[in-house]
Amino acid sequence: MAGGIERKVINTTHGPDAPHGDFTRVGQRARKIDGIGKATGEAVYTDDIVLPGMLHAKTLRSPHAHAKILSIDTSRALALAGVHAVVVGSEMPVKYGVIPWTPDENALATDKVRFIGDEVAAVAAIDEDTANAALALIDVEYELLEPFFDPHKSLVQSEPQIHETDARGQPYKKGNISKNVLLEFGEVDAAIDGAAHVVEDDYVFHGTAHAPIEPHCAVARFGSDGVLTLWSSTQIPHYVHRALARVLEMPAHRIRVIQPHLGGAFGGKSDPFSLEFCVCKLAMKSKRPVKMLYTREETFYTHRGRHPMEMHFRTACDAEGRVTGVDSKILIDGGSYSSFGLVTTYYSGQLLTGPCHFPTYRFDSTRVFTNKPPCGPKRGHGSVQPRFALEIQLDRLATKVGLDPIEFRRRNLQAENSQTVNGQTITSNGYLECLDVVEEASGWKDKRGKLPFGRGVGMAGSMYISGTNYAVYPNDMPQAGILVKLDRSGLAQVYTGTSDIGQGSSSVMATLVAEELGLRLDQVRVIAADTDLTPVDLGAYSSRITLMAGNASVDAGRKLRKQVQAAVGEHFDIPPQQVMLAEGFAFDREDGERRITSQQAFELTETKFETLAATGSYNTPDRGGDYRGGTIGASPAYSFTAHAAEVSVDTETGEIKIEKFWVAHDCGRAISPVQVEGQIEGSTYMGAAEVVLESHDVYSDESHVEAGLHRRPSLLEYTIPTSLDTPEIDARIVESIDPEGPYGAKEAGEGPLHGSIPAVANAIYDACGIWLTELPFSPGKVLAALRAKQGETSAPSPNGKASADTSVEAIRARLAAAKKGKS
Amino acid sequence: MTDWIRPTSLAEAVDARRDHPDYLVLAGGTDVMVGAIDRPAPIGVIDIFGLPELCVCEHDDEGRLRLGAGMSYAHLLGDARVAAAAPALVESAREIGALQIQARGTLGGNLGTCSPVGDTLPVLLALDAEIELRGPDGTRWLPVDDFCTGYRTTALAADELIVSVRLPVDSSSREQVWRKVGTRRAQSISKVMLCASTHRRDDGRLADVRIGLGAIAARPLRARATEAVLEGALPDGPLAARAAQAVLNDIAPIDDVRSRADYRRATTARLIRRWVLHLAQTSTTTNTGS
Repeated sequence: MAGGIERKVINTTHGPDAPHGDFTRVGQRARKIDGIGKATGEAVYTDDIVLPGMLHAKTLRSPHAHAKILSIDTSRALALAGVHAVVVGSEMPVKYGVIPWTPDENALATDKVRFIGDEVAAVAAIDEDTANAALALIDVEYELLEPFFDPHKSLVQSEPQIHETDARGQPYKKGNISKNVLLEFGEVDAAIDGAAHVVEDDYVFHGTAHAPIEPHCAVARFGSDGVLTLWSSTQIPHYVHRALARVLEMPAHRIRVIQPHLGGAFGGKSDPFSLEFCVCKLAMKSKRPVKMLYTREETFYTHRGRHPMEMHFRTACDAEGRVTGVDSKILIDGGSYSSFGLVTTYYSGQLLTGPCHFPTYRFDSTRVFTNKPPCGPKRGHGSVQPRFALEIQLDRLATKVGLDPIEFRRRNLQAENSQTVNGQTITSNGYLECLDVVEEASGWKDKRGKLPFGRGVGMAGSMYISGTNYAVYPNDMPQAGILVKLDRSGLAQVYTGTSDIGQGSSSVMATLVAEELGLRLDQVRVIAADTDLTPVDLGAYSSRITLMAGNASVDAGRKLRKQVQAAVGEHFDIPPQQVMLAEGFAFDREDGERRITSQQAFELTETKFETLAATGSYNTPDRGGDYRGGTIGASPAYSFTAHAAEVSVDTETGEIKIEKFWVAHDCGRAISPVQVEGQIEGSTYMGAAEVVLESHDVYSDESHVEAGLHRRPSLLEYTIPTSLDTPEIDARIVESIDPEGPYGAKEAGEGPLHGSIPAVANAIYDACGIWLTELPFSPGKVLAALRAKQGETSAPSPNGKASADTSVEAIRARLAAAKKGKS
Repeated sequence: MTDWIRPTSLAEAVDARRDHPDYLVLAGGTDVMVGAIDRPAPIGVIDIFGLPELCVCEHDDEGRLRLGAGMSYAHLLGDARVAAAAPALVESAREIGALQIQARGTLGGNLGTCSPVGDTLPVLLALDAEIELRGPDGTRWLPVDDFCTGYRTTALAADELIVSVRLPVDSSSREQVWRKVGTRRAQSISKVMLCASTHRRDDGRLADVRIGLGAIAARPLRARATEAVLEGALPDGPLAARAAQAVLNDIAPIDDVRSRADYRRATTARLIRRWVLHLAQTSTTTNTGS
């Protein structure tokens, strides 16, 4: 896909001498540049935007999981006083999808609905209450279709089809299967069948949601100049820009997309969404600005959360504990649309091949459509689920061989400067140091296997990409562009298309430019994520920004630094390389007394070179395996993480308490150590939530009166941990200084989630001898596993036997009888 | 438009309630406001939050602690007399919602809603609390077990207000235990709640055993079959097993989004067992019968 483009080589030198002695900004413990504004409420989020004459819009959603739309009549809604415009699917018939190969979404349903919550119509009115009242006046006639809630059913039953046509409008030939990927590297069966030890098991990863604090929100204005402006809580302004042009059938140059401050995203705002198209269309129809803010319940239906996966894994090793092969078969429940599903299906296998070296490997992953809220990318896209399975398998093998789990992983290292079995290039790798750090910090050697019954420690390792090598649409343009402008005031203005979604990317850009130009952070201002003002950046996904936009920032900053050094050198009558820029001054390196301020330096530079600005770009090196799909999962550099967890298990109530996490993360170099620690803590927190609390699911029994309805679409019942539930997290940074990243930096935003889940599973085994394989680890599952284990050892239950009438079956039968009696 | 009445005295509030039995009585609003989006607006509201006469906390002439129905959970948490008479009540208040809920939610509101998962109700059951109700015809006192009549239903008449809760004199001498099993440690609706209290005779046998349970039936209830097994018995391992078996006859849990009936049954039994074993371990009388 990268075609013949020459890779842009950036002269990034590393180590203590680069670029001018000790760093002044990189690696300093600085506050985020927007931290105070967010803490005080000063920061403007999308819902804070109020425009003159602005209308409020709401969406009519399908009450059926799978149905044809026979007719929609909006006349009664339009007649309601206060209603300014109504829009339906036929007005925006062009399909879109974030992945260009699978455009299967409409802004509003045209001919059928595919899940409860699917968007059918939208109304703009003087206020939300009026818009809601108008929704009730829209008459939609549906013809119900058989729904699919069980992915196994979608696998085998192709009628009725959830998607009847493909990207070209031709009949869809794969039934209800969204994507299948089967890749094999080496002779897997021979490597496993002949091995000394084999473990084989089934694992279930449930669905989870992103649950950002800010629900989706969008505001549109269609100006008298013919320019359509959209403010949206998106993490991909560029892709939204492209999707708007396509669906609204408008030239892209007449569209401007702005991302205001964002209250969390975690992957949940990386698709173009219905509300973005609807507010635009409604603004064009009503000639008024229009805002739509989703309710919390709507964010649960909009979803794009983590895909549920059912995973069968076989892993084998030799007598010394060297892994010989890994074999997986995975069924992925995609929900009703494709979203990023093509990539998810690849990621479920492609991202697993480090830090444990696989000599042979096969994965067979199938994603199916079901009539449920669509799944998509959530922090650690596609690989958190199989990582859970794999790291438990590795612990089970270690147990069989009689090796300590950490030692087992040391023995199977996918080393630095190597190629994985599936053709990914590993540059730096600090995993061994990560293992050492968590082993030491957690007191592993004094705890593993030595704590009292009910308490234990476990660990897991992982690897993640620092951006994907290729854009989601094939092109040879840079992945990241940046513009830095130097002002006579002494200010550097950084124009970047990157989306700061709370992860701190704007602070990273500011830090890198400040480092290059010898400025303090208050001398750099970042203007981000506005398609009119900022060069294209592909967005905040796949942990790409620090490495990619970071390299572009260094590129632009370095060009300007050369000019400043040249002008100041001339002024001091010294060679340019003798000019040092730091802390808001330009110095003579040989004589520190000779110095001028950055402002003076910029004036001299502008005098010499005229108006000062530079662009910077980054494009990826050619990477990936030479086979179909071999570039998916390819990244310029990979981060590595080791997690250790200590847990207590209440063997009477089945409650799990995670006492503490120790996490060591190799981020290459920490541009901002505080932010890296924050990402380690946030990721680990999110993993802890997924392992014991969260569960995103719908009523799945087709005969259930509420079949297809979300079971807990509120933050009361969809439990994420409160501060009281959050374990202590000891976050440690390991720096491997990668040759590809800016100052050696790699990603930190997603990698440190992966191991948190299997580390808890492995700690539970250490605590009470059970392997839990189905997430989330609810108390009931813990008790069932403990009972099963007691059964194995045929020890009599200490609680005495349960009489027949209290068995689960008997209770269910009584409940069923009681329900019948009622009806 | 909703009519809004804010009485400045208890007498005014009783009159307002008499005149407008169809109005909604509003205290801290932590139940009312959560449901407000899904319900039609009430025609009127009688807002009694913070009414001074409902926020009293005092011992009566007979030494019984009387807690005003308007006391917030935060108020309960900060009062030394409550801590002395009913430590289990303080523990339950500490686990309700989170700090914001505790600042607004009231004892009377928890009683009035009478949810199966009302956090203070098992405690009031296990302490034999009485509820003071006042209407146009005066005051009556009801044991809390008679006050709760079913799923979100109470014996409160349409013209009555919940005025206070009275704890028996012997509360402070009871050994009390509180245990809430929830999905998380704050902002959590319970899967199972247990409050148990007992006296011990000089010979170590249990006396006046009271067990209140929540989230295991349509209403919070007393585990009377279990109490009967424990009453007059010496706590030991076999007794713990018998009590754990007995409690299964006291409860009728259901499956819902928070938990499953079988988990609730198993966990209730284990909480009972654990409490009795705890009593056995802390017995001052030498127990040879294990």
